[in-house]
Amino acid sequence: MPIFQDNRKLVSRLGWVRALFAISFFLFFIQLWFLSVLNHEHYRQLAEQNRIRTFPQIAPRGLIYDREGRVLVDNVFEFNLLLFREEEHRLEEAVQFLKNGLNLDAELIKEISRKSAGYDRYQPVVIKEDLSMEEVAYLLAHQPEHPELGIVKQPRRLYRYGNLAAHVLGYVGEISLEQLQQPNFAQNKPSDLVGQYGVERSHNQALTGIDGLRRVLVDSRGRNLSDVENVAPIIGKPLQMTIDLDLQEIAEAGLGNDTGAIVAFDARTGEIMAMASRPTFDPNQFARSLSPEEWEDLIDHPESPLQNRVFQNAFSPGSVFKIIMALAGLERSVINASSVVRCTGEATFYNRRFGCWHEAGHGKIALREAIQHSCNIYFYNLGQKLGIQDIEIFSRRIGLGMKTGINLLGEVPGLVPSEKWKRRARGEPWYPGETISVAIGQGPLLATPLQLARAISIIATGRVPLLHLVKTTPDSPKDAMPFVLPVDFASENLEQIREAMWSVVNDGGTGQAAQVANFEVCGKTGTAQTISRAVREELSEDSAKRFEPNAWFVGFAPRNDPEIVVAVIVQRGGTGGGSAARIAGEMFEGYYKKHRTSVSGSIVAFTQDEADKIL
Amino acid sequence: MALAFLGVLGIYSAAAPGSSGIFVRQFFWIILGVGVCLIVASVDYHLLVDHGLQFYLCSLGLLGGLLLFGTEINGSKSWIVLGDVQFQPSEIVKLAVILALAQYLGQVSRNRLTWQHYARLSAMILSPIVLIVLQGDLGTALMYLPILAGMTLLITGLRKKLLLGMLVFSLVVAPLTWMALKDYQKQRILVTLDPDLDPQGIGYQTRQSQIAIGSGGLLGKGIGQGLQSKLGFVPEVHTDFIFALLAEEVGFVGASIILMLYLLVLMRLIHIAETARDRVGILVVTGVASLIFFHVVVNVGMTLGILPAIGIPLPLLSYGGSSTLTTFAALGLALSVFQRRFVY
Repeated sequence: MPIFQDNRKLVSRLGWVRALFAISFFLFFIQLWFLSVLNHEHYRQLAEQNRIRTFPQIAPRGLIYDREGRVLVDNVFEFNLLLFREEEHRLEEAVQFLKNGLNLDAELIKEISRKSAGYDRYQPVVIKEDLSMEEVAYLLAHQPEHPELGIVKQPRRLYRYGNLAAHVLGYVGEISLEQLQQPNFAQNKPSDLVGQYGVERSHNQALTGIDGLRRVLVDSRGRNLSDVENVAPIIGKPLQMTIDLDLQEIAEAGLGNDTGAIVAFDARTGEIMAMASRPTFDPNQFARSLSPEEWEDLIDHPESPLQNRVFQNAFSPGSVFKIIMALAGLERSVINASSVVRCTGEATFYNRRFGCWHEAGHGKIALREAIQHSCNIYFYNLGQKLGIQDIEIFSRRIGLGMKTGINLLGEVPGLVPSEKWKRRARGEPWYPGETISVAIGQGPLLATPLQLARAISIIATGRVPLLHLVKTTPDSPKDAMPFVLPVDFASENLEQIREAMWSVVNDGGTGQAAQVANFEVCGKTGTAQTISRAVREELSEDSAKRFEPNAWFVGFAPRNDPEIVVAVIVQRGGTGGGSAARIAGEMFEGYYKKHRTSVSGSIVAFTQDEADKIL
Repeated sequence: MALAFLGVLGIYSAAAPGSSGIFVRQFFWIILGVGVCLIVASVDYHLLVDHGLQFYLCSLGLLGGLLLFGTEINGSKSWIVLGDVQFQPSEIVKLAVILALAQYLGQVSRNRLTWQHYARLSAMILSPIVLIVLQGDLGTALMYLPILAGMTLLITGLRKKLLLGMLVFSLVVAPLTWMALKDYQKQRILVTLDPDLDPQGIGYQTRQSQIAIGSGGLLGKGIGQGLQSKLGFVPEVHTDFIFALLAEEVGFVGASIILMLYLLVLMRLIHIAETARDRVGILVVTGVASLIFFHVVVNVGMTLGILPAIGIPLPLLSYGGSSTLTTFAALGLALSVFQRRFVY
């Protein structure tokens, strides 16, 4: 070691070292200050987002009941797989993992994440619904490796009776982009399920509950440590329909695989007890997100299963219209009970031959028999006498040509032809020959089953029914729309027609198939041609089958103080007296059995003998 | 003595927030460390310095041996595992380097260094660096440079020529190193400049660390309440990022106190250096101070987000036996110098 070392310079430099130290630490203090104090709030929030996860608690929708409190639409709970998308880089791993473990299509997952790119980043996305217990176990076992996945219990809509009353009940589906823009959906977020059809839609507001949420403390592995906040969801309000499950089942069975529609309501209150349409669909299919193929199947189906034929389609009423003709004729005093016409099976008007379905002819025939046996010739004459203008007036007065205002979407108004209409729609004048066709419910005249049912109800009771599907309670809005036209037909005219309608069913008329023992069913059959007979005869048998006439039956019961009105249409069903009347009869019988033969509350009367035997 | 005391205080609070198993271990290391410190302090440092070269060569041998026999942990083959205990020689080697450098530089009588000196110095410093880099631990390797710098600069001062030389050196070396850096290391640097570059990937560590620190606020969340750190959001929280945990739990106030403690230790070391009796003593203490200073700077800087993330433990606070022992030994050396300042 050298003896003398000049260390002074070294020592002086140490002063610099001190300075260096001090400055560095000062910088640290500044940065620390910056983080901890100035930006504390910002970081505190980030920290929270890191470790607090929000699980949505979707509220179940309100239950839907039939008129007697039986549950038609319910909710079940299922386990769904959520993807938390705060950390995007985990997506790829997640996709791989899910593909291996759950056999999920990788494309599907990518598509979901693409679709949800527009959502708020902290809103998790449902990747798979209705996990089985094995899948749940598998996912839970691997939770630490995949903190971006979560399992949550969510409600799913269950339509207990499958496709029963599908068109009335409707279905729920994911809210669309257009809907999100609307003011009444201001509270909704994407991926919410809202009612898209039927009562689910028209009463969506009431049925929707209030979502809750559950905020959970998680560690960096996604494990739930504790609940931070738990807001329970509130179930939506229940809805009680006027639909009667038993009658609805009869209606659904009655139509079976045929295409057509049935509607039945209470003539006194306007409560609709059954409404069925074929072809139909199963709303449960929609409760889970529909695949594109399934959706296309429904949309492209040639018979449009999503259409409610009770009021979304208008048909030629055929002979059912004769009732309204009769009313018009009586009211205008163009005919009376004893006016007679001679039916020989055919007649000529305006140089055209018009036939009666009974080729041999009915002979001399008055109003009652004309209705009873549905004689065309009688009504051709009536039509000629009345003229299209009066026909139009009375059609409208009894509610044809305008909507009933029922609280479901898509009602069509039908069509009541007139001179004015013809000029506007076809650019031609009205030819009197066309009136002849209209007189028997053919020609351009179109009506929905609901309109015809309402018309018959007016004739049956002299009052207008306020048609509605939901029982009016103090809570729920009134479903029916008021009828604005005057209904003041002469009661003796109405009575005459009712008498004639009684004879159709009970006195050997065309509607005998609708007869019910001890229950006076009154009605009218209709066989509406969809193409002219001449054309049909030229077709092959197979093609001809496609153009079979539509079968109608519209009626009420009992004759005095009517309670129930039923309208049935079976497309391509042949004659009205056949399939339609039979099905209507089943409806009336079902009603009768239910309401007239109940044991409870009635006094069982024994004969003397019976009582002796018991005692 | 005051030094050691401060150090112990630091660790005590550090280990506590962690899980209990680690606490016990670290406590053990601390006790051992204190013991080592005292032992070293009682030894005349000259003894150690005189054998500096031998120590140095041994270390090189040790490092080389690691390459062959070492156990790989976290991607670097720098560990020796003896049963339950893990041991990282590259920490200990730092001491040897300090001693060797002190020995060498102590012989320089004048305050200038010749080219020969520089050459030798480079060789001395590069050998361990290269070996450690080969192990895969770039961070630790980098730490050797400041030690050299600290001690050398002391002697040479900031001369223009030297500055120029260093500037040139950096300009030349920087792009080379840039290319030599592995991708993730490049990313780390980029992310420091712009933290939002990749919050999920490389920037994750730094970002989470900042979140933890920031959410601590003025007074912190309380001991044991450091949720960000505890719940695993901050990676390496017991070792490299322990400062984040501390800041989260004791807040700005607490963290500042910790920094102050370090500053105190360093100032004290400088004082010792000022009162050392010979050049060798000054050099040794300066080496120790550089060691501690740069560790603290890099670690805290990385935690705060000012510097890119480099795997360097926080002396005495981070969990790790090797680092703790080394630091204590280094402090012991300084104490030894201090003790003998009057002996002639």
